[in-house]
Amino acid sequence: MSYATDRAEIEDLMARYLFAMDYHDADAYAECFTEDGELDWAMGVARGREAIRAEALSFRERIGEIFKDSSGAPARLRHAVCHKAIRVEGDRAWNTGFWFEMTNGGPDGSILLPSFGVYEDELARVEGRWLFKRRKICNEFLPGRQSGPANPVRAMDAA
Amino acid sequence: MPRFVARAALAAAILTTTGALSMTAHAKQPTYGKTYAEDRAEIEDLMARYLFAIDYFDWDSYVETFAPDGELTFASGTSKGRDAIRAAVTSFSSRIGQFYHTEDGKPAKLRHVVLQSSIRVEGNRAWGRTLWVEMANHGPGDTMKMGTYGIYEDQFSKIGGHWFIQKRNVLNEFLKGRNSGPNNPVRDMDALAEASKK
Repeated sequence: MSYATDRAEIEDLMARYLFAMDYHDADAYAECFTEDGELDWAMGVARGREAIRAEALSFRERIGEIFKDSSGAPARLRHAVCHKAIRVEGDRAWNTGFWFEMTNGGPDGSILLPSFGVYEDELARVEGRWLFKRRKICNEFLPGRQSGPANPVRAMDAA
Repeated sequence: MPRFVARAALAAAILTTTGALSMTAHAKQPTYGKTYAEDRAEIEDLMARYLFAIDYFDWDSYVETFAPDGELTFASGTSKGRDAIRAAVTSFSSRIGQFYHTEDGKPAKLRHVVLQSSIRVEGNRAWGRTLWVEMANHGPGDTMKMGTYGIYEDQFSKIGGHWFIQKRNVLNEFLKGRNSGPNNPVRDMDALAEASKK
């Protein structure tokens, strides 16, 4: 396997993860993780695919409470992932990826940019498929959930 | 003239015009070698590492993304070699807090972000044209705000099996004299790549 092939498959996983998240597809979301995968995000740590699925089922309600459009309805939240530093070693990989989010929660339904942060990921190839073994979502606008101050790519390279 | 005839005539005229355009101004399309995906993946990784290094003030990692004789040009001028690049960038970084700060005057968390890249590879040399945008927590009440955008005009070298930045020109559409264009930057890149083969 070449780095390009691994990187392409990992990038596809990250896109599938975001579509599953933004369209409330809890099954597809949970399937992005290994059976013993871990999700560490603003509302806690979920361990194991079943716990992650249960967490994902509550996303719609919890996120709808935080992000609203100007009429008070749940906003259309979209996550975007941009540049990624990805390291691959055999069947293990690591990612530091920059994300930001946008909604239609601005005045009169205009675009609003609530926050940005980084994904700090550990991935594993299981039966030929790359999956998240651990995803930590850092958000620079949430106290206690910020990344750094050290360059997160250094931690990934030292792993 | 019935309306549909007029529309058909207009459509034919457009067809003729675009047909003529495609003959006279047809850009030479790049050819992609067998290792293009591998080279591109490594160059994308390099560009991501560059950004994380700059945003977390990791100057050792930052200068290592450049070839030893690499060159960086941005608003402050041109620096050649890793030591000169480090000096220029650390000095700029210490001053940028004046422009990007939170409401209480602390330096903002500035993030550089890259979006699409056109990357051209010829052997151990490559060229890139990449759209970047920057964002920080310097909006009202320390909310997120997008700052400026521009492009990177890059040349890369493969040295000892690894890609490095040979030359990076940081253009910013919000700084007078540092704008890109008006020509399509990808055309310039293709011309440079073609010239390098002669």
